[in-house]
Amino acid sequence: MPQASTISVLVVDDQLTMRALIRNALQQIGFKDIREAPDGEEALKNLLAKPANLVISDFNMPKMDGLALLRAVRSHPPIRQTAFVMLTGRADRELVQRAVQFGVNNYCVKPFTVQGLREKIEQVFGQLT
Amino acid sequence: MDELEAIKVTFFQECEELLADLEGGLLAMEEGAGDLETVNAVFRAVHSIKGGAGAFGLEPLVRFAHVFETLLDAVRSGAVPNTVELAAVLLRASDILADHVSAARGLGDVDMGASAAMAAELETWTDPNASPAAAAPVAVEDAAPAPAPVVDADDAIDDDGLGFVFVPQTISVEAQAADTDLIPANVWTVSIRPKSDLYRKANETALLLRELNRLGPITATLDDSAMPPLEELDPEAAYVTWSVRLETEDDETAIREVFEFVDGDCELEITRGEAPIAAVLTSLLTVAEAPAIVEPPAELAPVEIAALAPVAEITPVAPAAKPAAPAAPTPKATQVEVPGPGQSVIRVDPERIDRLIDLVGELVINQAMLAQRVGEYGIAPSSNLAMGLDELEQLTREIQDSVMAIRAQPVKSVFQRMPRLVREVANMTGKQARLVMDGENTEVDKTVIERLSDPITHMLRNAIDHGLENPEERKAAGKNPEGVVRLAALHRSGRIVIEVSDDGKGINRERVLSIAVKKGLIAPDLQLTDEEIDNLIFLPGFSTADKISDVSGRGVGMDVVKRSVQALGGRISITSRPGQGSTFTLSLPLTLAVLDGMVVDVAGETLVVPLAAIVESLRPKPEEVRPLGPVGSVLAVRDSFVPLIDVGRTLGYRDTSPHPCEGVVLLVEGEDGSRAALVADAIHGQRQVVIKSLEQNYQQVEGVAAATILGDGRVALILDVDATINLRRREGGAPRPTEPTLIAAE
Repeated sequence: MPQASTISVLVVDDQLTMRALIRNALQQIGFKDIREAPDGEEALKNLLAKPANLVISDFNMPKMDGLALLRAVRSHPPIRQTAFVMLTGRADRELVQRAVQFGVNNYCVKPFTVQGLREKIEQVFGQLT
Repeated sequence: MDELEAIKVTFFQECEELLADLEGGLLAMEEGAGDLETVNAVFRAVHSIKGGAGAFGLEPLVRFAHVFETLLDAVRSGAVPNTVELAAVLLRASDILADHVSAARGLGDVDMGASAAMAAELETWTDPNASPAAAAPVAVEDAAPAPAPVVDADDAIDDDGLGFVFVPQTISVEAQAADTDLIPANVWTVSIRPKSDLYRKANETALLLRELNRLGPITATLDDSAMPPLEELDPEAAYVTWSVRLETEDDETAIREVFEFVDGDCELEITRGEAPIAAVLTSLLTVAEAPAIVEPPAELAPVEIAALAPVAEITPVAPAAKPAAPAAPTPKATQVEVPGPGQSVIRVDPERIDRLIDLVGELVINQAMLAQRVGEYGIAPSSNLAMGLDELEQLTREIQDSVMAIRAQPVKSVFQRMPRLVREVANMTGKQARLVMDGENTEVDKTVIERLSDPITHMLRNAIDHGLENPEERKAAGKNPEGVVRLAALHRSGRIVIEVSDDGKGINRERVLSIAVKKGLIAPDLQLTDEEIDNLIFLPGFSTADKISDVSGRGVGMDVVKRSVQALGGRISITSRPGQGSTFTLSLPLTLAVLDGMVVDVAGETLVVPLAAIVESLRPKPEEVRPLGPVGSVLAVRDSFVPLIDVGRTLGYRDTSPHPCEGVVLLVEGEDGSRAALVADAIHGQRQVVIKSLEQNYQQVEGVAAATILGDGRVALILDVDATINLRRREGGAPRPTEPTLIAAE
C-alpha cells in the first residue's frame, strides 16, 4: 500500500482556483509533495527538470492542452511512466476516449469531491495510506 | 473551511479577469476579428468560470454558464457560424454572466427573468429547431469507438455519466522508480563546441571529457555535421560539437569548473536533464506526424502541431542544436503569447505594496532630514559625506520610482468595464453608440485608478445621453446613425489625461446660457466666451436634461464629478463644437502618494504649494500693486491684473498682511484656469514631498489639501490652490463661474 505522502504530484490547470482546490483536496488525502503548473508547456518543463509520480491535469488550457501534455509525457522515456489523471467536464466523453488512446491512467469528472478524487487516484496506485 | 473560503476569494478574483477576457474576446468577435484562437479563449473563459462555480456549488451560475458554454463550443467547432450578430448576443450574455458572478459573490442580484430569457435565446442559437436530431457538436454517437481494453464489466467504471467503459491503468510507484532508475534524475547534458582558439592554446577536448568523467559516467556524442568537405576544410578551424550525457551527484558549478581553463574558447551549454526541451518536442512532432504510432483523429493533428510549434520556437536552442530544430508548420506562431522560461507572475497582497510605499515615503523624509542636518553643520558639498548623501538621494528617488511602478496599473482595468456601460446606456436612451478605446495600457498609480471609474462613468453617460443624437436625428444631419464615443487615456506632462469625446451635436450654448440665467447661476448680463459657457455645465445645480433620465440624472450632476476630481488634484473641462461633438478632458496626477512642491515660508510657518499649480514666481514692484475694494488688491502681471491673496491671512496665521513687495509672489493657476497671486514671505525651494492625508489623520481643513513631513521633521501643510482661490472669491464679490482675468482697460 503506497503512502500518499511519498507520492509526488504535479497539478496542471490554467486556473488558479482549480489548482488551489485540487491542492487542497490532495492535502486532505494526505499528499505532501505537490507542485503546480499553469499549462502543459510549463508542466513538461517542470517534469523534465524533476519527475513526479502523478500528474493531475486539466484538459482545456492555453498553449499546450492536457492531451498534448499527456502525449509529451508518454513519448519521453524518463517520465513516460508518470501516472496521468485527466480532469474532464461531464460532456467530454470523446476527450476521454482520445486520452485513453494516448495512455491516460484515469480520468476525473469535474466538479469532484475529495473522496471522488481519492478513489480515482487509488484506482491507479492502489489503496493509499 | 477557512481555506476553501480563501480559495473562493481567489475564484472571484479570477472571475474578474476571466470576464474581462471574455468581453475582450467577444468585442473582437463583434468587430469581425474572431479567429479560432479568440473563440477558444472566449470558450475557455466561460468554461473556467463554470468549472470553478461547480466546485463551489454555485448552481445558478453553473446553469447559465453551461448554456453559454454549449453555444460557444458549437461556435468553436463551426456548427454555429461565428457572426457579428452572434457576438452581439454573446456580449449581452456575458453581461448576465457577470451579474451571476456578482450575485454568487453576494454583490447584487440577477434579473432571473432576463437570465432565463437569455438562456433560452442562447439555446435557440445552439439548436435552432430545438430538435434532438440536430447536429450537436458534442454528439458522440458518430465518434470512433474507443479502443477500450477488454475487461470484466465489474471492474469497469461507469459512474460519471459518460456512459462508457473505462478501466483505470494501474501503476505502482515502484515501477516508476525502476523506470526512472534507468535514467537517473541527476543527468546533465553538456554541449561543448570548441573554437579554434581552444586548440591553438594547446588545449584538447579529450582532456575536458576526461575531467568530466571524474564527476560521473559520461556518454559523449560527436556532432560533425558542420564539417565541410575536405577541399573546403580549414585545418586550423574548429567544426565539431560534443554532446555529453553526464550522470553526477555534483552540481552545475562543479561541471563549469571543468571548463575553467577554456573559458571563452568554447561555447558551452549545460542543461539539466536528458536533453534540451527542443529535442523532446522534435521527437514529439515526429510522433504527431507519424500517425502509425498514435493515430490521432486526422483533423486534429495540424491544430496540435501548431500549438506545439511555438514552444520549439522560443526555446533557447544552442547554435549547435539548431539544425535539429523542427521546421514545423507554424501558422499561428506569432499569435501565441509565450512568456519566456521563468517569466511568471507573482500575486502580492496589495497591502504589502502599500506598506512598502509608505516605508519608502519615510525613507525619502529621512534622507531629506539627513541632508538638512549635513547642511546645518556646514559640511562642504565636496566632502565625501555630502557626496555620499547625494548618491543616497538619487538611490532613494530610484527606489521610490521603482516601487511606484509596482503599484502602477494600466487603466485597462477601468476601461474594460465601459463597453458594457455604453451598451446599457445606449439601450436605455434608444441611441446607437459604438465605443472606441485608446491607450488602455497607459499606466497610473493604483490609488488613482480606483477613483477614475466614477468620473469616466459619468462622462460616458453624459456623452451618450446628452451628446449623441437619436439615430433619426443623426441620419437627418447626414451622419452615421451609430454615434462614436471615444475613450482615451494618455500621459501628458506628468499627469494622466482621460478624454471622452463624442461625435454628437455638441453643447447647445444658447440653452445652457438661458438655463444658467434662469436658475440664477449667473448674472443675465454677464459676457462669457464659448468655452466659459460650455463649462457652465459643471456649476452646482445645473442640469440640462429636459426630464431627469435614469441615465445621466442619477442624482449626481457634473458639479459633483468636478468636485471629486478636484479633490484628487485633478481638473475636468469640456470643449464643444456645435454639430460636431464635445470632448471632456480629465487630468489627474499620476500618483496620490508623492507630490512635487514648492516649499515656502508664510508667517513663520512652512507651506508646500503644488508645483503643478505654479505658473511663475516674482517679486512685485510697488507700482504693480493696486488696491481693489476695501481690503483686496490686485497685481499687474504684464497686461492683466490678478487678485493678490495673502495665504497667511486665508489660513488664519496673521490678521494684517505685509506689503506684497516685501515678500515673494507665486502666480498660480487653478484647475479652472483662474489665476491668483499668492503672497509668501520666502521661497525655500522645490522638493518632492510625501503626501500624508489630513482627512485620515485629522480632518479636512479648507484651503489645505494634505500635509507632509519635512526634512527637519516638522509637519508642513500642502496648500489647496483652488480652495484658496475660492475662499478669496467668496470674500471678494459675487461668485462667478470662471474668474475671468481683469483686463487692464484704463
